[in-house]
Amino acid sequence: MLTLEHVTKHYKGSQKGITDLSLYIAPGDIYGFIGHNGAGKTTTLKCIVGIQGFDSGTIYINGIDLNKEPLKCKQQIAYIPDNPDLYEYLTGIQYLNFIADIFQVKAKERKEQIQKYGEAFEIIESLGDLISTYSHGMKQKLAIISALVHQPRLMVLDEPFVGLDPKATIILKDIMRKICKEGGAIFFSTHVLDVAERLCNKVAIIKDGSLVTSGNMEELIKQGKSLETIFMEVIKENNANTN
Amino acid sequence: MLTQIKFLTKLELCNLYGLNKIRFLKDKKEKKKAIIVPVIWIILLFFCFFYIGSFSYSFICLGLEEIIFTYLIIISSILVFVFGILKSAGLIFYKEGYDILCALPVTGRAIVASRFIKMYVENLLIALVIIMPGVVVYAWHMEPTYLFYLLSILGILFVPCLPMTCSILIGTFITKISSKINYKSLIVAVVSIFMVFVIMYGTLSISALEEVKIETLEELFSVGFKLLKKMYPPAYWLGMAIISEDILQYLLYIGLSVGIFLLVFYGISISFHQICRNLYSNLAKHNYRLGIVKEQSILVSQVKREFRRYFSSSVYVANTIIGPIMSCVFSGMFLVMDIESIIGKIPFSVKINNIVPFILSGILCTMTTTSVSISMEGKNWWIVKSLPLSVKSILDAKILMNLLLLFPFYILSEILLIIGLQPKGFEFFWLLFIPMIFILFSCIYGITINLCFPVMDWENEVSVVKQSASAVLGGMGGFVLAALCAMGIGVIQSELVINILNIGICIVGGWGIMILYKRNNKYFLRNLG
Repeated sequence: MLTLEHVTKHYKGSQKGITDLSLYIAPGDIYGFIGHNGAGKTTTLKCIVGIQGFDSGTIYINGIDLNKEPLKCKQQIAYIPDNPDLYEYLTGIQYLNFIADIFQVKAKERKEQIQKYGEAFEIIESLGDLISTYSHGMKQKLAIISALVHQPRLMVLDEPFVGLDPKATIILKDIMRKICKEGGAIFFSTHVLDVAERLCNKVAIIKDGSLVTSGNMEELIKQGKSLETIFMEVIKENNANTN
Repeated sequence: MLTQIKFLTKLELCNLYGLNKIRFLKDKKEKKKAIIVPVIWIILLFFCFFYIGSFSYSFICLGLEEIIFTYLIIISSILVFVFGILKSAGLIFYKEGYDILCALPVTGRAIVASRFIKMYVENLLIALVIIMPGVVVYAWHMEPTYLFYLLSILGILFVPCLPMTCSILIGTFITKISSKINYKSLIVAVVSIFMVFVIMYGTLSISALEEVKIETLEELFSVGFKLLKKMYPPAYWLGMAIISEDILQYLLYIGLSVGIFLLVFYGISISFHQICRNLYSNLAKHNYRLGIVKEQSILVSQVKREFRRYFSSSVYVANTIIGPIMSCVFSGMFLVMDIESIIGKIPFSVKINNIVPFILSGILCTMTTTSVSISMEGKNWWIVKSLPLSVKSILDAKILMNLLLLFPFYILSEILLIIGLQPKGFEFFWLLFIPMIFILFSCIYGITINLCFPVMDWENEVSVVKQSASAVLGGMGGFVLAALCAMGIGVIQSELVINILNIGICIVGGWGIMILYKRNNKYFLRNLG
């Protein structure tokens, strides 16, 4: 579903970025991406969804090279950023219709999707209001609905649970599981290790732009250690090796 | 209180014209781009300085040195006033950072003071650039006393106070009224522009003189002087006080300026928080029911979004719609004024029908929306970049929106000009075709410039629409080109040569459009922002 091969991205005049990152996300995976602040998680996600270019390496979405055919790749992806800066001058329904128009979603289909997810996230009555009147959580919910409206095969989410109320968090987790059951895949970054441990079947840990470890969640935690303990151990070990 | 004002003012001024960015940017390429903005301003200021110096010198040559300062003070006051009305709402009541400021232990008065000071500094620059050349030229030729230097230099500091205060007062009034109703930004923009026209028309009507026969250049200047004196008497008081070294009249001007300035400042600081709260709070109804959902093509959907973006910002609308409105005013002049007799007074022969297409083009193309349309995406830029949209599709929507915005003004201007000028044959064709070429070129050129000088991490729309390099270079590109063409065509008498030149201009314009359009569409948008 998603393959990163030796992807490197460095910002000019800064040490930050990602170095030689390789990952493979298969259909059905809920893949957690973990790292400290400034580790390169958001940069990786932005490269995958085509917001940012990268210096070298290749990214494939369902076997299609992102650099060669970006539009075909983007048709299959949905992205939710960590801070949903949406068009505040549009109403919620105008924004959803705009996104659906870009993805050329049929009227009947988009209405069903908006109805379904709008009711699930209890936001349907606010869709006629300007986005500028929304709270952070409501904007996050709207961003999630807009990501789901074209029924993507791959969802790339940056800290998706930040700002969501408990009910919405549960609903989003259910949606993520459902997408994966139907052959889609989810790749998301998080700081909440408990969530990653319970939700993901695979996980990758990134530090200073480089992949420290990755693999099946079951294999990683089979020694009875929590993901939190593993994360701390891996980071310490990596620090020792670097020094 | 003074400490609060000091810190807030420092915050307001630290990134004026992108200075803070230049100081701290590490990426050399980005730093070079950031430096371009102040460099452009310095070049423009230099030209302006030189031009006004020559203008002042012509007064001395004509023996009219007494009225130099009144003229220059009035010009700078008009500029401060007109620009002030258009941007005061955006500068005094801007939303970004308001919540953070409210949470800090600072008073509303300190916030207003810091924003007033920022606006004052910007306006002082205008006053300095316009009046200083006059001081230099006058001092050089008239060798005045030391008191003159003291009065003129100190006087410049007070020139922006009164027009700025009036513009803030009107801007605040419009903002306060619009804060209680829907479509705030659109109303602020429309009413601001309307006010500028009403006030300009009103003052001109009040100061209109009886029919005067103008035979010489001296008479033209002195008639103009009488008009301006009636239009804005305080400028006359200060101008005359400087020349005649009349301290009493001088103090009267300063007292009046500072007094009104402080009064308005006090009034606004009292109602500042209330206006901001009304302005930023939008009514949420929470009663939406999902009805019929319509599909639209990608282009239509994008253009509609572009229009919504455009009309959501009063600063954006006010600054880009002036040109198109002025084009209609200009075209309408040919219906009501005897243009031929005015042209007859110009010392050299000009055939108006030949240069009107370029003048219309220049006015229509002043400040295109495309020159800042990418920058205006700001923090929302990630949305467009993450969607399956080609570069061409994104940029086409921005160009189309600008063309659709200009279209009604173009049509109306053309109708008025056709009735007023009654062009025949080729004149008719060029009148229609040349503005079309210029409009298309300006819209595409605006995109090119914005791609070269994007500002995506802005906090206040004013910094994009009025202060960015793309706003200055992109917005004025079409105007400058049209002005150059008009000057070139204006001095030629042969119809054949004019037609050949017009064909050449259209071919070069069309070629430029093609080159820039192709170049823009090859841009790698992922590297932007």
